[in-house]
Amino acid sequence: MAKLKINGKSYFVGNEPDTPLLWVLREDLKLTGTKFGCGGGYCGACTVHVNGEAMRSCRIRVGDVENAIITTIEGLDPASNHPVQEAWLELQVPQCGYCQSGQIMQAAALLAENNDPSDEDIEISMRGNLCRCMTYHRIKNAIKKAGKEIRERSV
Amino acid sequence: MIDINLKRRSFLISSAAGLSSLVFARSGIAQGKEAVDLLNPSSPLVLPQNFSPSIWFTMESNGRTTVHIFRNEMGQHVGTALAQIVAEELGLSWEDVTIDYPQMDYTTINTYGPQLTGGSWSIFEEFDKLSRVSAAARQIILETGADLIGADIGDCLVEKSTVKDTIMGEKISFSEILSETVIDYEVSEEDLKEVTLKAKNDYSIIGRSVKSLDIPEKINGSARYAIDAHIPNMLYAKIIAPPKRMGSKIVSVNDDEAKKQVKGYITTLPINLPDQFLVGGFMTHMPLVIASSFPEAMRASKLIDVNWDNSACSTQSSQEAETEAFSSLKQKDNGKIFWKVGDYDTAKSSDNVREIERFYKTSMVAHAPMEPMSALVNFVDEKLHIYAGSQMGTMLPYLFAQFLQMKPEDIIYHPHLIGGGFGKRYEIEHIIMASMASIQLKKPVKLIFTREDDMAFAHPRTPSVQSLKSVLREDKCIGIMQSIACANMQLEVNPFFADMLHLPLVDGKVLEADDAVKHETYTLTGADNWYDIENQSVYHHRQTSIEKTIPCRAVRSVSNNYTVFALESFIDEVAYEIDEDPLALRLLNLRGKGVNKGAKKSDPLPTSFGGGKRLANVLKIASGLANYGRSDLPEGTSLGIAASGAETRYNPSFVACIAQVAVDKSSAAIDVQKLICAIDAGIIINPDGVKAQVEGSLMWGLSAALLEKMTLDNGHVAERNFDTYKWQNMTKIPEIEIHIVENGIHPSGVGEPATCVVAPAIGNAIFNATGVRLRSLPFSRQELFEGLDKKA
Repeated sequence: MAKLKINGKSYFVGNEPDTPLLWVLREDLKLTGTKFGCGGGYCGACTVHVNGEAMRSCRIRVGDVENAIITTIEGLDPASNHPVQEAWLELQVPQCGYCQSGQIMQAAALLAENNDPSDEDIEISMRGNLCRCMTYHRIKNAIKKAGKEIRERSV
Repeated sequence: MIDINLKRRSFLISSAAGLSSLVFARSGIAQGKEAVDLLNPSSPLVLPQNFSPSIWFTMESNGRTTVHIFRNEMGQHVGTALAQIVAEELGLSWEDVTIDYPQMDYTTINTYGPQLTGGSWSIFEEFDKLSRVSAAARQIILETGADLIGADIGDCLVEKSTVKDTIMGEKISFSEILSETVIDYEVSEEDLKEVTLKAKNDYSIIGRSVKSLDIPEKINGSARYAIDAHIPNMLYAKIIAPPKRMGSKIVSVNDDEAKKQVKGYITTLPINLPDQFLVGGFMTHMPLVIASSFPEAMRASKLIDVNWDNSACSTQSSQEAETEAFSSLKQKDNGKIFWKVGDYDTAKSSDNVREIERFYKTSMVAHAPMEPMSALVNFVDEKLHIYAGSQMGTMLPYLFAQFLQMKPEDIIYHPHLIGGGFGKRYEIEHIIMASMASIQLKKPVKLIFTREDDMAFAHPRTPSVQSLKSVLREDKCIGIMQSIACANMQLEVNPFFADMLHLPLVDGKVLEADDAVKHETYTLTGADNWYDIENQSVYHHRQTSIEKTIPCRAVRSVSNNYTVFALESFIDEVAYEIDEDPLALRLLNLRGKGVNKGAKKSDPLPTSFGGGKRLANVLKIASGLANYGRSDLPEGTSLGIAASGAETRYNPSFVACIAQVAVDKSSAAIDVQKLICAIDAGIIINPDGVKAQVEGSLMWGLSAALLEKMTLDNGHVAERNFDTYKWQNMTKIPEIEIHIVENGIHPSGVGEPATCVVAPAIGNAIFNATGVRLRSLPFSRQELFEGLDKKA
């Protein structure tokens, strides 16, 4: 039995310790906003925050994150109004939308560290988050827009 | 075509009461409560009712109108666009519109037609019908509203969900109308012919970039895809991918270790299918590992030994398929004719001409949608409930009835969002497997493909090798012959796709000769181009050996990707040979002559109206935007152009693309700096939605041009995850500029057509920058390096 802290709540789960966190989130806890894409850490669809850092939940064993603070797309903002989500809506970023939870979590982690990222910063941070609809231009623009919003709020 | 099947019922408008009571009745309306005139005992009781003037939408007395979407949402925001059409002609405020995705059963296809999601057809097929149905409903609402406020119909108009008396100023909202009356009327087919459609200049919702209705749920994790479907106590299934793509047979399965080591492991169903399931590559045998959770199914599958019989399987490699294609193209046999204008052979045998020939090849490209294939199926009370996302739509119950030996009436499809379609979700083997398991185990079963499983069950775009020949006379091109060696999609085995088989077209007329071979439109489309070059022929050399190795199917923009790549590269090569500018050569041959006139305005679907002239127009726009011919680009940087009328000549979107590419001559690095695109898809429903689709299409084209290559190795797909199957990520994305033409012509599609012009535009730019011609997709830096080396 492992105790997980996810989105401000505590959960007790009985999975084998080597079960990928992704499947615990999706199938046991019904937090299905985090997506399965490749299982190998190549695509970023399963990105969540572990202690504030963007990580691939398909590569995290549930036994290794006991007592860590885990945040999924469902818990990024209580009203889904995180500046990244607002920018995503405003610029109409998603097409099929499947990768976007991961994109948003990765972008939110980037902006938490650097709220004025250059094109290169964005590319380095986001290059492991694949989007098959290839909404990359809008993702890039939305990150810049969200960064601006965060900077203005903090003034 | 689609059978609308609207039946005229009684035209019944039962009014609540006279005007005097309306004021009172209105008080409860805003909340959508029942409007009953309690003070007037003689007034008939009116309970607010929904008004469904057609099967396509429901108007509710609370003021909301729900548009029913039967095309599957997979990123194209189709529901939003369809709803915009309804809202426009019905006269709704956009804020009053919602959409839903109803479940589909065996009756749905009779009522709603085939409703496939693909081919860039949705708006093309629905625009006229939805416009007319909505306009007819508007007229009914107008008459009812005018009656209720005691106005002359002629004085009234509909605006923002309200009927207004333009003389007296009185208004009544749709909500009030439906709260006070019961309108029992369904729009008839006669009504559709007689309706007055809005003038296009009066459009206020069509042509507006309203926000897509499906996006909010896609940014907060609440959107439901097939992989998210859940039923209590469901079991999980994982396949064990066979050692060959098609035809491996299961001899025996040993699951002793799985039983010992994996707690939640239940059983393995060794599914050896009847032969008819294997026809056309629709299915192949595979063991299904069943467990109480998916991680346990994955764990168990690694411990299970399967003994396979591969004796009947193909062992073809990509290299063998390519060698076969080249030898087939070099034989005396021309292949099977698909398209013919004039007579290429006569042109070739006339005096003072020379012939050039170039070969092009393209690799297989995978769909690789981000959501791997998955389906939840629940067989309960003798009914099969399918929870999946499918581009097959209303066809599913009939399709599954064939495979599962069931009655179509026992099959119900519950559509889910698709996490990336691109043609992949025409495929159904994962749903069939989940269905068989659910039927056998009498439990809900959710089958999930891992990425490796998904890639092992690839349905890639066929590889192709093509020969392009041209007859040149001095400075003129008088003939083109395109010969294409590739696999068929094997649509002929599916009765639903029978109308996608076409006889060859000769000078625009169907060839009725007894020996004429029917072609799959989407295997060769794009080669039947819009150029006025007077002698053309297109031949197909079908490679059935590939079809026996891997099912090659529809991948975004399908055949256009290889036919247009070869043709548009070749047009530049012809221009070079006759010392003509590539843009000038194209424009000279895009004058909409003969077969390239396009449809008549009076045709039922006049989408191709204007023909080749519209292709010339987008070429001019794109080259204008790019400042074509500019001399200020640095050494090693050039522009290249390409154009096409994809998806087909029947529903063309005319697209031109100009690529600005810089080549580093020492390293042969290709830097695509900018893609400029002009697209003419007729009436534009949602400009930003169109732009998003074109952005995605261009990036798909870029990814296929530079990176994507799926290969066959010993009868199977070699690349099984994104570590080996490489495609475009966030880095090195070019600047994109898109111009959308607006011309009021019947809309075509936008989800695919811009895909196919990118690779030839880049290839042409590389040639212009370096003098090296690359003729293989994806472009090889090594090949460019060697070419540069030779030049130096």
